[in-house]
Amino acid sequence: MTTISKSGAPSAWARFRSMSRNHRSITILVGWALIAGLLPQIVRIPPMSTFQPESLWIDGFADAGVFILLAMGLNVVVGLAGLLDLGYAAFFAIGSYVYAFGASPFTGVQIPFWPMLIVGAVIAATLGLLLGAPTLRLRGDYLAIVTLGFGEIVPAVFLNASDLTKGTNGIGGIYKPQLFGFNFTLENPVPYYVTMVAILAVTMVLLYRLQDSRLGRAWMAIREDELAAASSGINTITTKLLAFALGASTAGLAGVFATSKLTFVGPGQFGFQVSFTVLAMVVLGGMGNIWGVATGAFVIYTIQAVLLKELNQFFQALHVPILQSIDFVQYQYLLYGIALVGMMLLRPEGLFPSSRRREELHVNSEDVGDIPPPTEALGQ
Amino acid sequence: MKYGKLGALGAVAVLVLSACSGSATTPPAASTGAGASSAPVATPGGSVGAVTPGAWCVGGTVKIGTELPMSGGETANGVPTANGVKLLISQVNAAGGVLGCKLDINVQDDALNGVHDPQTGAKNMQTLVADASVIGVVGPFNSGVAKAEIPISNGAGLLMCSPANTNNGVTQPPEGDTYRTAHPDKISYIRTASPDSIQGPSAADYLYKDLGKTSVYVIDDTETFGVGVGDSFVAEFKKLGGTVVKRDSAPKSTTDYTPLFTAAAALNPQGVYLAGTTPTGMGLALKQGRTVAGLETIPFVGPDGVADLGPGGTQGATITIAGAAAANVYGTVGSAHDLTDNTFVPAYTAMFGGAPGAYSSAAYACAQIIVASLTKAAATATDLASAREGVRANAVNSANTFTTALGSLAFDKYGDNVHPFISFYKTDMTLAGGKGDWTFVKQESFTDPNATP
Amino acid sequence: MRSDFRGIARPLGIGAIALVVEYLLLGTQQFANALTLGAIYALIALGYTMVYGIVELINFAHGDVFMVGSFLAMWIMTTIFGLTGPVTNLLNLVALLAIVMLATMIGMGFLGMFIERVAYRPLRHAPRLAPLITAIGVSFILQNIIASLFGPSPVNFPQIVPPDKFVILGSRIAYLNLFIVIMAVVLMIVLQLFVGRTRLGRAMRSTAQDREAAELMGVDINQTIAITFFIAAALAGAGGMVQGLYAGSIKFDLGFFVGLKAFTAAVLGGIGNTTGAAIGGFVIAFVEVYATVLGYTQWSEVAVFTVLILVLVFRPSGLLGQQLGERA
Repeated sequence: MTTISKSGAPSAWARFRSMSRNHRSITILVGWALIAGLLPQIVRIPPMSTFQPESLWIDGFADAGVFILLAMGLNVVVGLAGLLDLGYAAFFAIGSYVYAFGASPFTGVQIPFWPMLIVGAVIAATLGLLLGAPTLRLRGDYLAIVTLGFGEIVPAVFLNASDLTKGTNGIGGIYKPQLFGFNFTLENPVPYYVTMVAILAVTMVLLYRLQDSRLGRAWMAIREDELAAASSGINTITTKLLAFALGASTAGLAGVFATSKLTFVGPGQFGFQVSFTVLAMVVLGGMGNIWGVATGAFVIYTIQAVLLKELNQFFQALHVPILQSIDFVQYQYLLYGIALVGMMLLRPEGLFPSSRRREELHVNSEDVGDIPPPTEALGQ
Repeated sequence: MKYGKLGALGAVAVLVLSACSGSATTPPAASTGAGASSAPVATPGGSVGAVTPGAWCVGGTVKIGTELPMSGGETANGVPTANGVKLLISQVNAAGGVLGCKLDINVQDDALNGVHDPQTGAKNMQTLVADASVIGVVGPFNSGVAKAEIPISNGAGLLMCSPANTNNGVTQPPEGDTYRTAHPDKISYIRTASPDSIQGPSAADYLYKDLGKTSVYVIDDTETFGVGVGDSFVAEFKKLGGTVVKRDSAPKSTTDYTPLFTAAAALNPQGVYLAGTTPTGMGLALKQGRTVAGLETIPFVGPDGVADLGPGGTQGATITIAGAAAANVYGTVGSAHDLTDNTFVPAYTAMFGGAPGAYSSAAYACAQIIVASLTKAAATATDLASAREGVRANAVNSANTFTTALGSLAFDKYGDNVHPFISFYKTDMTLAGGKGDWTFVKQESFTDPNATP
Repeated sequence: MRSDFRGIARPLGIGAIALVVEYLLLGTQQFANALTLGAIYALIALGYTMVYGIVELINFAHGDVFMVGSFLAMWIMTTIFGLTGPVTNLLNLVALLAIVMLATMIGMGFLGMFIERVAYRPLRHAPRLAPLITAIGVSFILQNIIASLFGPSPVNFPQIVPPDKFVILGSRIAYLNLFIVIMAVVLMIVLQLFVGRTRLGRAMRSTAQDREAAELMGVDINQTIAITFFIAAALAGAGGMVQGLYAGSIKFDLGFFVGLKAFTAAVLGGIGNTTGAAIGGFVIAFVEVYATVLGYTQWSEVAVFTVLILVLVFRPSGLLGQQLGERA
């Protein structure tokens, strides 16, 4: 399912592929419209319908959308530009708090949701630039640690600056979005779902356009060989900064949306676990492939939010003592760990790779011929 | 926050159903509970096992939801708490159910990556709301989670009874109002524990008046609970005329508290207030603080997050972690000491093979409230939705008093316990075979925290 | 990896000045605390710096190796020796500490080698991102294995060293603090001697300098890297054991923040430079303790990470590192 057969005469599929490549934006919009329409239908049929009612699925899809957005944003940084950002949740936190400041009884301000989406994205991007400007000169793994530190500092500031943020208590009662007099409510997830799909579709169109632009090619050139890219006339600092800012703005957007839906924000929600979860989504989905990353995020989120819990309930219901005592949700991070290691060793390009990235990641594999394949050593 | 071990020391047994059921999990001593049959609210089930349940009992079963952190670093918080609910359910079912309707449980876990998470909590609350057979929810554990969940339960009219939330803002205006925007007049949330604004000051009074200490060092764990009790402790201690020599906040990732206590010891405090819980670092703080010169023997006081009433040797208990440093430690617990049900602990131990957790009895009491409210609501309920609404309306009705494992409970218009108690304990290292245990000192009753604005 | 004794005068001078400044600012009691904390950070930082020096990998799982080390030491003490409280006989105490430490170090050394063999070696020629992500995965795996074996709540670490104190410069310091600092210094000196004076040490240094040239000269690269991981993990194991002795309770997620701080120490000292890592450890501990003395404990993490970011931005080669051009 990961590769498309290129053999044989131009089939209907091939014609469709070439058409979709030539009209990518329209394809994405149509694709999202189809997904948006189909998903609620799919969850009505067994076995999906037996897990949880339709409204919960739709609610979950809206939440999954937050992670898809985060993963697509991180993909720009990690997948396209090849910069490892381990503190990505910081920008998510910034977007969340921006909305909390802009629309909650705590500050007494009520700016509408829609402009706040832009404001959140812009402020997150600005902070991304401020962090990136001095640090992007650093080589990859140093950058990883700097971003990790930043990811710890930001929630700590929100925690400790308690006069401004209510500290550990968090900000609650945040206002929900309105559209032409229509109020979003927590009882009806459909408006959130539709909004999220629209955000995702627009973001994805923009990201694909960027990826195919001069800037996108510059990102990939830097990822593959920064020195060569620089000598071809690419301003590596500016290019990397743009990737960083774009990734940050996407996270800011996600933060605004997530907070408007949860109506609460606290500093404990943005630990390094969030950054690592999104990273796992990007890695498992396939770094560099926007659709792949989105799919990876969706799959991981659904596994984490629905299937692991279903497994728990299922084994609880079996009343088998040993299985009952296993909490599958608890082993989620063990599974992530094994998946990250296994994926890097066996299929570094991810489940849904971009063809370009796959070639890069396998480039030197014949050099290590003296090392036996790691499959048996991993002992999964 | 409440502590299950209270039950072992209680004088009055209240659970009528225990008296009638004769189930294997209920010890014979429970028959003394018959004396409480005059309790204002009819207690569940009992001998009416043969009754055909009403139309509200779809499929012969309704569920109590639990919404607690069940995994990762918070397993010790959530699992024993949920067990309290499981215990009541098994007792009620053994006695024939609620008016013939069996109870089941819907367990939700709000820990994400081992830490309680408001987002996950909100999602769980949506799940519980969507499960039509859930007539009430026990939880959540953390106030931050509650703030994300109350808007949902308020909109849906599903009762939440928290065994552990203490943050003032969860219920009390003006902040509390912002969570009840869907139905400001129909609250959906009650809690059994005394809020921070009672527990912190009572510890300050105790340290200042009873122990005669006029200066104190306060350290909190930066968590919602710790900062809340810490702030209210400091305010009261200063009001009494005492000196707070230093106030520190140390996140739970702190691995070395020695420098903190060394700096504080230089200011010669006569006592220390540990504002937080043992799992978030206060156990380690107690242990390391005691090693600092000048602090070896002065009293350390903590809220119920420290006074977990677990004897030395219990895994994760304060006395176990602190060892000899636990001598001369005092603690407040936000419930009455002598009104509790002495059948709870034996029944819990018989069912789960270990001592109850810190919040097991409170969760059990919450489940008792839900069952009692359901019993009352059943008369008029015609379907699941009306049963759910009936449970909510009865539980939050301030005219109702519930007889529970924690004594009599009633709730004001914001969902706070109208008659909060604080019990005081101290450690005695000669107990539990030299491993140390908590002993009861005294208890005090307070007026409704929301009675006077 | 510059670790011979030549050219050590400058780092020692910097270290001595740093210590004097620390002492003047903190006073005896807090200085002892900072020194103890710094010794633990230094032991971990050495592992980061050695591994980075030789394979240019930030071994993200190193902090968790430290955590596993403290659990292993706890397990050896309680399960094998049945220890629960202080051991008062000095001879017994020293023997026990030596045995437990040796066993922990060897055990952790093999764990380090195993991790390298399974998770890093196959990726030695892959893009740099790959082993870093694997390291994160290994970190998750270690944490979760410990959490499921020993439970997620804090676990008691037997306090076998009696809490006795001695008086120096008007302050009462526990013997345990003295033991930790001396032990750390001894381990560091042994490490310096090993790296600077032995054949294997020379192999490590040459591999760090130019892997291919070293291979052409007959150095077994795989073996050298494996030994580096062994030593790094063994030092972390020793650090884990003293952390347990010092704090008295350990937890499965202990390694994350301590590891991050130790990494900061390694960067501060100049990554790849073992003396620098040790000094960096003491400096980071000083920053943390000084923040506490000033009453800003809740900001101490922010302070440490701010130091990290500032050092990386303005002096990526660290206090003692040489300018390495492309390296940073």
